[in-house]
Amino acid sequence: MIARKKVRVWDLPTRLFHWLLVMAFVLAWVTHGESRHLDVHVISGYTFFALLIFRLVWGVVGSHYARFSEFSYTPKELFSYLRSLSGNGVKHYIGHNPAGAWAIFVLLTLGLLLAISGVIVLGGEEQQGILAGYVSFDQSAPFSALHETVAWAMVVLIVIHICGVIVESVLHRENLVGAMFRGSKWVAGSSAQIPAHQLVASVIFISVIAWGGLSLNTYLAATDEHPYQPFKGPALAMNELWNEECGACHLAFHPSLLPARSWQYLFEQQDHHFQEELMLDDETLNELLQYALNNSAEQKKTEAAWKINRAIGRDERPLRITAVSYWKDKHSTIPDITWQQESVQSKANCGACHYDAEQGTFQDAAMRIPNE
Amino acid sequence: MNKIILIIIVSVSSSLINGQVNAGGVETLQSTYLEQGAGPFSASAGETMWRKQYLDKKSGKQRSCQTCHGRDLTKAGKHVRTGKVIEPLAPSANSERLTKVKFIKKWLKRNCKWTIGRECSAQEKGNFLAYLKGL
Ligand code: HEC
Ligand code: HEC
Ligand code: HEC
Repeated sequence: MIARKKVRVWDLPTRLFHWLLVMAFVLAWVTHGESRHLDVHVISGYTFFALLIFRLVWGVVGSHYARFSEFSYTPKELFSYLRSLSGNGVKHYIGHNPAGAWAIFVLLTLGLLLAISGVIVLGGEEQQGILAGYVSFDQSAPFSALHETVAWAMVVLIVIHICGVIVESVLHRENLVGAMFRGSKWVAGSSAQIPAHQLVASVIFISVIAWGGLSLNTYLAATDEHPYQPFKGPALAMNELWNEECGACHLAFHPSLLPARSWQYLFEQQDHHFQEELMLDDETLNELLQYALNNSAEQKKTEAAWKINRAIGRDERPLRITAVSYWKDKHSTIPDITWQQESVQSKANCGACHYDAEQGTFQDAAMRIPNE
Repeated sequence: MNKIILIIIVSVSSSLINGQVNAGGVETLQSTYLEQGAGPFSASAGETMWRKQYLDKKSGKQRSCQTCHGRDLTKAGKHVRTGKVIEPLAPSANSERLTKVKFIKKWLKRNCKWTIGRECSAQEKGNFLAYLKGL
């Protein structure tokens, strides 16, 4: 029996990076696809991005076992390691074994792809973030698909990574998960001296907490008059006559919420507008129609406009925004009792939930379900 | 000193003139109704009709002016079909109320049809306005 001693293998920054990355990924995963939590998704996404960049640097300047050069194995080494798993005499590595190392490199690559595509989609689809204004809705569409695919690929790989950790822990009777917390392993023979790097770790920890706190600060500062609106879009064209004529019985729905042919059709039947009469004279009607046509969904002034336009068939001209499949999808998780609430009453009462309904921008996260 | 007095006089008188213009919406309409042979107008008859319930045959539901404007006209009401808030109708609570002839005409026509099922007569419209302007 060779004497074994407990030595530090993972320095503090590496461990902190690992668990913060896990948290950022989980947070971004559970908030994905839900507009009302896009702010949290974006904040955790940026954190994820920053952590990855730190890890790239740390892979060069970090302590011994954290360096990429320490665990870059050739594919041949990987396969021979994997083959050895089924037999006896699996080689024990103090740092990452070849399978773990490959998982890390692929995860880092996927992570970077995920973060970069995320920034592109944020710039294109939401016109927010550093790329706002540089990417169009249509240009960002393929990146949206990429973002989703890469995220799923990462989930699959994470599952494999976790399985690998379990297998490895059992084979070598060593708690690898614990090692990623404590940083130390029982090692026979010689190993490199690893400093803790407490200063670097403190800087990372404080930066993440400060950034999270700053981002959430706006939540706390929100009042009823100035609700929390993490994203604001460019202002849309407004028309006083439209607001007066179309804003008395209900919200003056912004023309960007339906295509031109729908507006045309709506004005054609102004005498039986959902069993109401619009009573518009020709002059008024023409001005309203002109405004509607100039700002219709086809103009793609907002994400909602772009997606509504995309969701309607060329031969369709719906009179209701609430009948468009995109609208239905977005609101499918809202239960019936919410719609029947005193303060909501109708699906078309957009302003009951959307802070920016009057401006027509319908930004992500600028909404809340009343009494929830 | 003289200047300040002048400013006060000008601003007071202009607000008086404004007040008159504001009240003008109802007066102008009522005088048109008078020309059509209606009158004199009764606020209490207007109030009675305002509170009266009318059966809508299609929906089988009762309708009244209160259905959307609420019971207390100094408070905001709510559109019964869309849930949209309607600002208070009483001029004392909302100085912009009953100021624009075209607006009043349009809504009286529309709301009478919706609530009562027919357009209101000149007499009925004059009564409504007599009731509303005193609130
Ligand atoms: C006299 C009242 C009244 C006026 C004025 C009015 N509407 Fe409406 N509108 C309604 C009602 C009632 C509905 C149906 C609401 C419901 O079913 O929830 C409706 C529904 C709509 C909808 C469909 C909402 C949905 O479900 O997606 C659109 C779009 C619309 N109106 C546009 C307009 C436009 C444009 C104007 C101005 C030219 C206008 N409306 C003026 C009463 C009105
Ligand atoms: C009962 C509350 C409620 C009402 C009323 C409502 N919405 Fe929404 N809406 C939401 C919620 C909540 C979401 C976010 C769903 C999610 O998280 O994916 C949403 C999402 C959206 C989105 C997607 C935003 C984005 O960028 O992803 C659009 C566009 C939208 N609503 C438009 C409308 C319009 C137009 C109306 C009125 C015709 C309306 N909504 C009425 C609650 C409501
Ligand atoms: C279906 C809902 C509804 C009902 C019922 C209703 N109103 Fe209205 N009324 C409105 C809306 C909407 C407006 C215009 C929006 C606004 O002014 O804020 C309005 C405006 C008015 C105005 C114009 C106010 C002004 O500022 O000049 C008058 C007058 C009026 N209503 C009278 C009546 C009378 C009389 C009845 C009953 C016969 C009635 N309303 C019933 C919805 C309704």
